[in-house]
Amino acid sequence: MFRLAIKMTLARTGRLVLTSLAVILGTAFLSGTFVFRDTINQTFDRLFADVFRDVDAYVRSTTFLELDFGGEQRAATPVSVLDTVRGIEGVTSATGDIQAFARVIGKDGEPLGSEGNGPPTFGGIASADSAGLWSIETGRLPVGPNEVVLDTATADNGDFVVGDKVRVVAVRGAREFTLVGIASYGDISSPGGATFALFDQPTASEFLLQPGFVDAILVEGDDSVSDEVLAQRINEALPADLRLETLTGAEITAEVQGQIKDVLNIFSTFLIVFSYIALGIGSFVIYNVFSITAAQRQRENALLRAIGASRRQVSRALLFESSAMGIVGSVIGFGIGILLSQLLNALLKATGFEVPTQGLAIAPNSFINTLVAGVLVTVSAAWFPARRAGRVPPLAALRDTALDTAGSISRRVIIGMVLVVAGGAGMVAAMNDAPIQILGLGVLGVFSGILVLGPAIARPIALSIGLPVAKLRGASGVMARQNAARNPKRTSRTAAPVLLGVALVTAFTALAASIRSEIRDTFGDAFSGDIALTVDSQGFGGIPLTITDQISALDGVAQATGVGFTSVRLIDPNEPASATQAGASQRGVFVQTINPSTIVGLFDLGVTEGDLTTLGRDGIFVDADRAQSKGWDIGSRLQIIRVDGVVVDAEVRGFVSGDTSFANYVASRDMFADAPSPIFDAFVYIKVAEGAVFDDVRDRIAAISSDAGIGTLQTKDEFIDDQAAQINQVLALIYGLLVLSIIIAIVGIVITLLLSVFERRREIGLLRAVGMTKSQVRTTVRWESVITSLLGAVSGVVLGIVMGIVVVAALSDEGDITFRLPVNATLWIVFISFVLGVVAAVYPAWRATKVNIVEAISAV
Amino acid sequence: MTTLPPPTLQPTTNSAARAAAAHKVYGSGDSEVRALDGIDVAFEKGKFTAIMGPSGSGKSTLMHCIAGLDSLTSGSVFIGDTNLSSLNDKELTELRREKVGFVFQAFNLIPTLNAYENITLPLTLGKKKGDSAWIDRVIDTISLRDRLDHRPSELSGGQQQRVAIARALASQPDIIFADEPTGNLDSKTGSEVLTFMRRAVTDLGQTIVMVTHDAVAASYADRIVFLADGRVAGEMFSPTAQKVLDYLKRLGE
Repeated sequence: MFRLAIKMTLARTGRLVLTSLAVILGTAFLSGTFVFRDTINQTFDRLFADVFRDVDAYVRSTTFLELDFGGEQRAATPVSVLDTVRGIEGVTSATGDIQAFARVIGKDGEPLGSEGNGPPTFGGIASADSAGLWSIETGRLPVGPNEVVLDTATADNGDFVVGDKVRVVAVRGAREFTLVGIASYGDISSPGGATFALFDQPTASEFLLQPGFVDAILVEGDDSVSDEVLAQRINEALPADLRLETLTGAEITAEVQGQIKDVLNIFSTFLIVFSYIALGIGSFVIYNVFSITAAQRQRENALLRAIGASRRQVSRALLFESSAMGIVGSVIGFGIGILLSQLLNALLKATGFEVPTQGLAIAPNSFINTLVAGVLVTVSAAWFPARRAGRVPPLAALRDTALDTAGSISRRVIIGMVLVVAGGAGMVAAMNDAPIQILGLGVLGVFSGILVLGPAIARPIALSIGLPVAKLRGASGVMARQNAARNPKRTSRTAAPVLLGVALVTAFTALAASIRSEIRDTFGDAFSGDIALTVDSQGFGGIPLTITDQISALDGVAQATGVGFTSVRLIDPNEPASATQAGASQRGVFVQTINPSTIVGLFDLGVTEGDLTTLGRDGIFVDADRAQSKGWDIGSRLQIIRVDGVVVDAEVRGFVSGDTSFANYVASRDMFADAPSPIFDAFVYIKVAEGAVFDDVRDRIAAISSDAGIGTLQTKDEFIDDQAAQINQVLALIYGLLVLSIIIAIVGIVITLLLSVFERRREIGLLRAVGMTKSQVRTTVRWESVITSLLGAVSGVVLGIVMGIVVVAALSDEGDITFRLPVNATLWIVFISFVLGVVAAVYPAWRATKVNIVEAISAV
Repeated sequence: MTTLPPPTLQPTTNSAARAAAAHKVYGSGDSEVRALDGIDVAFEKGKFTAIMGPSGSGKSTLMHCIAGLDSLTSGSVFIGDTNLSSLNDKELTELRREKVGFVFQAFNLIPTLNAYENITLPLTLGKKKGDSAWIDRVIDTISLRDRLDHRPSELSGGQQQRVAIARALASQPDIIFADEPTGNLDSKTGSEVLTFMRRAVTDLGQTIVMVTHDAVAASYADRIVFLADGRVAGEMFSPTAQKVLDYLKRLGE
């Protein structure tokens, strides 16, 4: 039997490859992300190993804050430590290191590097010491307050040559420097597309950080002792009150490598989750393919049973075939995945993140993971069809065509309805304040219920969608409509990927539209100014406070106020110590920094109690809900630990509603005025003075901001739209999911149609014999495809809208978000599904016209 | 084998379809098969002709080629005055739709269409309404008026073949080709179907060419053309089942 199974599998290599398509697709995404991740990790590993080649020890502060997304912010180190370190026996050289915000302004006045989502823009130190990370390619090192060195890529992109004047913006404002040299980082021109402006140490400290401070100290030893001993010596020499630590070169290298991996892993984990979803949706296609081929081979299997094969042998033959398909598909998928990883790289390059890849990293693990996932999914998708094939009665050998056994429709309807109702009940419960997990379970229940119901409802829906087709396209249309409805199981399974994708997208689009209009309303009410200067800096750098103050002082500006963010550690002295010290004690929280003297009357932070002007140096406002859950009241004392380790004994002086504040805590910018790591503003809100000409004032602000090379100037409406549009980033991810399910859906429809065409070749031959033209044959196949695709789209839209209504209702407190139907998006989805149907039908339709009439009608 | 008299063929002027020097060769070299080896034959309008011959004699191939389903290696076939070799695929399809009717041994009907839709299929494909009085008459002839909205799976084998004949008649074609139309039926149902075919010729004035190896079925025809080894081996007018059996016996000796 085993040998027979091999022969049966090999006899159909064509179909094997065809049906492996779904496996190939799913595994290609998976292996593509694996290889991509490994390649980038390997690149950065090598890069940092090279950069820290000459660093034997690394001195830095022990005070730091963990930020969201795996980053950290560390306190600065006094420059005086440099001399201490240089005096230690075994130290050849020591140099300060700074990685702070700085932006290079191009010759056209536009800043280099993209703002916000792009790679970061850095300022740092270029030093003659061999422990320095940078090496000069052309020119010389910067000396004194007026000289700068750029990295090779930035100099190239900005068209700068040694001797040019270069404007740089940093925390102290915008300044002009003379370019004296061009440097490279390790052996590459620019790591990850980031831009670098480098200065001598005193200039860098003063311009980028705080005079007399650096971020860390790089030490090179004379190799007379091991790195460990050297680090130990340095540690012992450091003044204890400075709270510094010394790492060996290997430790800092590993840590930086780990940090970049953490950041990259967020991205690649996301991609891998997507790939698994793709494989999951693909399993529908695999399941469908096996069901169809098993049905088509019913006679063959029945014959095997008639001549004495056991049920189990028949099932096993099919499972063997599925394993072969899983292996073949996964191996091909892995190969395609390697190509895909290159494509991902090119895509990143196109969006500005130039990742310098050095060769492909193909780990054996990636291959094994891909193979295991691919084979598992394939074999489990084949499990039920294989068992069904085993149950074929031997008598079926004498029956004619492949029948889609309808199964028990009533049982299907009952189970489906139970799932939908239970899921719906869960969703309704979530509307009435049940936990959000219930909502998730409810959505899952409704989805599975719909999939179970699918075969029962596919026929009536396909017939209704096909009605206009039958009316418009004559005989071909009638036939297409009937064909789409003739195997409801097959049709509903083929449409399932479309349904899943469309339902998710519709629900999220509806949710986003609702949230967007909500944000728009709230911000419209809160912001009473005319112009906003914004920077989308993602927590790194921003608008220096000096710029905000310059704008405030402008002629024609009635009022201007800046709002920014910083991270602090928060300790509630009343909470039991164990809770504060457990693990997350280094975890930072976001604090919104404001200027209390200018914000009132310009931007309403939603103060529910208290007066912002009482904030002072040690006051704090808290989100009302947060305060309630923590049991804080006006006058409660909290300890705020700044990044530099300074502890502020703060008092709660009021509450905000949280609708228009961007963080749970609000503090005055005065609280951070003396911190070595300065704070920035993210927004500057501006009100134009009465009697002043709006355009003139706007131009004057623009002059300041473009002089500083920072921020985007927006009118009130633009600003509000922009805030509302942030939800679009989430939507973009969801649309990515849609694209994925569309690709899988196309493959699924193509395979199903090809198998249907193969199965119906006698019918097609007969139709051709009695006078159906090739173009009519194509029309029939095409419209069957369109009806199937639209079946998925229409059911998906209905399901998505229902879910959207429920989710919006569940998320809104006292109904302050109202459901909005995204009409345009819905129409687009239906249109895209139509196109998808047409595209998927091209090849199967062509194959249908190639059916040989005589062979088809002569076949018995 | 006894020498047969040379076949006396009907004059071409009154023929609904004819083949001249028809050759059909499959494969080449040692595996070459001459399915048709120089056939000249014509089918008279308004007559019921049967084509007989043993398996492999080329009778189905001849029918497929004359009906425009397959092409000749050399020679020519005509439907009416139209030389099929001059037509492209689209023109051939339209010719089949308008001038030719088909009845096959099995799988004659589209399973997703009901009996009436199957009958009018060639008309619908050509976006034509057809002659409704004629279609009514055809439906009455096959006595299936009460089954018109049934799917093929709900009809018996005999009923399915009657629907197939009605479909072949519906567009009033110049000629109808039937390939073993009773091959899958029991003798009683078979004779019903043959009676309808006979009436379609006698009462409705149609032209039918039927391929069969059944002597009884052939006896319903006006004329029988015998094929052997891809050639016309002889013919017989006003046949009876006994005469046909005797002739076949002689042919086989």
